[in-house]
Amino acid sequence: MSQADLAVKTRRRMGSQRRREMAGLLFVLPAMALVLVFFLIPLCMTVWMSFHNWPLMGAPKWTGLDNYAAMLKDRRFWGAMEFTIWYSIVATIAIFGVAFPLALFVERPGRTTAIYRTAFFLPVVVGFGSASLLWAWFMNVDSGLFSPAAVAMGLTDEPVNLMATTDGVFWSIMVLVVWKTAGFSMILLMTGLQSVPHDIIEAAHIDGANRFQRFWRIKLPLMRRTLALALILSVAGSMLAFDQFYIISNGGPRNSTLTAVYWIFSQSFVSFKLGYGAALSMVLLVILVIISIAQLWLLRSPTGDAK
Amino acid sequence: MLRTLTRVSALALAVGMGTAAAAQDTLTMWARTDVQNFLPQVVEAFNASHTTQVEVQFIPPGELVQKFATAAAGGSAPDMLSLDLIYTPAFAAAGQLADLTDIAKALPYFDQLSPAHIQAGTYDGRIYGVPFSADSSVLLWNKDLYAKAGLDPEVGPGNWAQIEEQAKAVRALGGDVYGYYFSGACAGCNAFTFLPYIWSQGADIVSADGTTATLDTPEVRGAVDLYRRLIAADAVPPSAETDTGSSFFSAFAGGNIGIATSGAFAIGILNTQYADMNYGVTYIPGPDGQPSSFGGGDNFVVTAGMEDMTAVGEFIDFIYSPEMQKLMAEFGSLPVRGDVAAQALEGLDTRYGVATDAMAKGRTPSTVVYNDIYNSATGPWLQFLQESFYGDDVDGSIMIAQETMQSILDGVQ
Repeated sequence: MSQADLAVKTRRRMGSQRRREMAGLLFVLPAMALVLVFFLIPLCMTVWMSFHNWPLMGAPKWTGLDNYAAMLKDRRFWGAMEFTIWYSIVATIAIFGVAFPLALFVERPGRTTAIYRTAFFLPVVVGFGSASLLWAWFMNVDSGLFSPAAVAMGLTDEPVNLMATTDGVFWSIMVLVVWKTAGFSMILLMTGLQSVPHDIIEAAHIDGANRFQRFWRIKLPLMRRTLALALILSVAGSMLAFDQFYIISNGGPRNSTLTAVYWIFSQSFVSFKLGYGAALSMVLLVILVIISIAQLWLLRSPTGDAK
Repeated sequence: MLRTLTRVSALALAVGMGTAAAAQDTLTMWARTDVQNFLPQVVEAFNASHTTQVEVQFIPPGELVQKFATAAAGGSAPDMLSLDLIYTPAFAAAGQLADLTDIAKALPYFDQLSPAHIQAGTYDGRIYGVPFSADSSVLLWNKDLYAKAGLDPEVGPGNWAQIEEQAKAVRALGGDVYGYYFSGACAGCNAFTFLPYIWSQGADIVSADGTTATLDTPEVRGAVDLYRRLIAADAVPPSAETDTGSSFFSAFAGGNIGIATSGAFAIGILNTQYADMNYGVTYIPGPDGQPSSFGGGDNFVVTAGMEDMTAVGEFIDFIYSPEMQKLMAEFGSLPVRGDVAAQALEGLDTRYGVATDAMAKGRTPSTVVYNDIYNSATGPWLQFLQESFYGDDVDGSIMIAQETMQSILDGVQ
């Protein structure tokens, strides 16, 4: 083969590689366009707005970093942030505490498994808005379900107004959230459990590992990636909680169940300060990114391979 | 833009129909659903007698401000609005409203128009909103329960001591029957019904010039203590504490409440939908009987940028005609023009008289930060009410609310 032939061949190979790259790019182009239009552009606009005094009505005025400076003194926002983080920790533990046993229960195929899987997953398809309205009614002290049922069963003599105390609101909403979202985490964890190769489990079995050891030392480490996904989705979802608190408690009693997103909504659309709301959103975004990175790092593979 | 379009389409329609009539001008109007009871009748009457036609669209009250702001930014705002009067200063300050000063002052009966509306509609010395519908806060009492409790059913509470005494007497009937009701977790409801208890003593929670929060006064503390005594005496049902406003009307209509804070709107609904209810209407009194009320309702406003105001002037004059004032009164809105009020109310339920008089005595907070201070579910007003009515540290909660309100007021300057 002459030198020239080799050069042509190499060129051809490079050409086909470039074509393949181009084809790949074309395939992801629609998705990239969507990300650009629905994520990147709004994100840039939010950043832009956060540097303005941007009223809901009227002309915006450039104020530089004023919104971010004001935030430092916004006790309500940091209080809401603290509550949101506390809520996220409790919700995530509660969701995993319910979803993991459920996932173990429905993992193995059986005649009734499909029914259980469906039953546990069903609440996920109910919208948060509808579920919250349902709960708001359940929690009504006079005409609801919880308090009248407790009185009827003789558990308490006096009606219990769950909406009147922070604990009442917090734990009632927690039950709603677990009921509503545990099914989703269950499906994720179930696929994780099923993805663990059977021969490894079998080998462990032969080596004398008991059921707990097989779960703790084999399955759990091998489903690290699924765990990370389920955890990040759960934490991010909890950090952005809004609907249930807006509909059920209005952030009450006495602003004690005010979440970060609720405060952003309130500043933007009740106080008409869109610029300040945008600045708060940016800070929440940064906090959320940091938390997510921290979770990925914690659940990284010990061998250092990609997740 | 929208106006031009509708004009063009009206013109096309007129030409298409081959009539010799001049092009009809169409004015678009948005209103919150609260005025759906009577606005369609008013518009229908106006359209029947005028070349200019008004088209109305109703918007849920919670969405009106956002929807208008979006439409205004996109150039598709309606020509006119029936706007909750408390929003008039904020809209005017944002440059969204047309100056109606000349039209308003040219009306021969201008000085007879509801002062609360005009005050809320005035911004920087110019009038941007004129009265449209009116609703004043009052107390309702259940005459049947009063009779059962051995009270005179024809005499409602006239001062604080009587409120307490009568509420306790009704509560003594026991069971599900309670003496007094207010929506404890509803910021707007309590601005409407609790502020008058403070005003009746000559005090307010914001200074007259709108720059200083004045919550830390004996008058505010006095009104708070009235509610605390009612709650401590078990005269208020436990569900009141967490009512976000959904039972503001229905709690009294259920027939188990002796005295309830409410508004003139309730008279219309009670008379039409709860015909069996035997009730009385009285003023919200001060400690010694000095009456006070929140003058609520809607202002009529015009979107900035309208050039020819002739048709708007015609519409304004039309709504103040004795016939329309009567029509609106029949459907539950109090007259907003003093000199024809008696005529408008003639033949109607006499209980409207109390509410109309309350309206005349009524006050309306006028501030561009009304939402932040009073209306917001996360604002200082509601937090103050909940903590001071039900909490243990009244002075502490007053101090915190005072600080928060002051920082909001400082933000305006």
